[in-house]
Amino acid sequence: MRFSQEREGGVLILRLEGQLMGGGEAEEVRDLLLSSIDQGTSRILLDMGEVSWVNSSGLGILIAGHLAARQRGGTMKLMNVGSRIDSILNVTRLSTIFEVYETEEEARRSLQGSNA
Amino acid sequence: MDQVIQLAIPSRLELLPVLDRLVQGIAEQMDFSEDEADAIAISVIEAGTNAIQHGHKKDASKTVEFRFNLNPDHLQVVVRDTGPGFDVDAVLSSDPTRPEDLMKSSGRGIFIMRQMMDRVDFAIRPREGTFVYLRKSKDVNGRGVAPA
Repeated sequence: MRFSQEREGGVLILRLEGQLMGGGEAEEVRDLLLSSIDQGTSRILLDMGEVSWVNSSGLGILIAGHLAARQRGGTMKLMNVGSRIDSILNVTRLSTIFEVYETEEEARRSLQGSNA
Repeated sequence: MDQVIQLAIPSRLELLPVLDRLVQGIAEQMDFSEDEADAIAISVIEAGTNAIQHGHKKDASKTVEFRFNLNPDHLQVVVRDTGPGFDVDAVLSSDPTRPEDLMKSSGRGIFIMRQMMDRVDFAIRPREGTFVYLRKSKDVNGRGVAPA
């Protein structure tokens, strides 16, 4: 798991690459999400375009970020979700929790409209 | 007669993607569809995740064993760890999609396997370990077999 981050207008855009499977660098993603939220950045966009796998541990990281952002009155959204990950989100019904956008433009626009 | 492919990996989560490539190759050989191949790979990786995290507590000195039995009409995957096992009934009776459980950070692995595979069984044997049996049947009306 590799990742890069951009901050723009109070929004943290985290671009993930590889497998979000818990352990190692996937835990760094959790730490970055939680520390950023703790420091006041509660509008987060996760670019999943280069993520090939998410297992149940990876889902736990996404949920932790979602809950922490929500607790701060913010939001965490996903974009560029591939078919495998979409399938896992649907089976677990987490698709009813996470807002997923097909394009970065749509996702950015939705975050500009949020108050956090 | 079944063909058998076996693999043993150290208990490190970052090695699990190796299984994806293996499953894709086996699925292609058995003429499973792409969706079926993904469902199998997702399930095998979840079983491996559980074995590493819960069975072996991420102790990399312990190996997780995967045995793929390629049968003409189905694939069976057996995943074995040497951990103490778990309360199968409690896990099977839980539903992580219930609204009150939806935001829990764990407890989805076996649920995902059961949704993705045709059959999932467990055996916990003292001195031998915990065994997960995953089965996916080939769709006789689907790919590779022309409908009558």
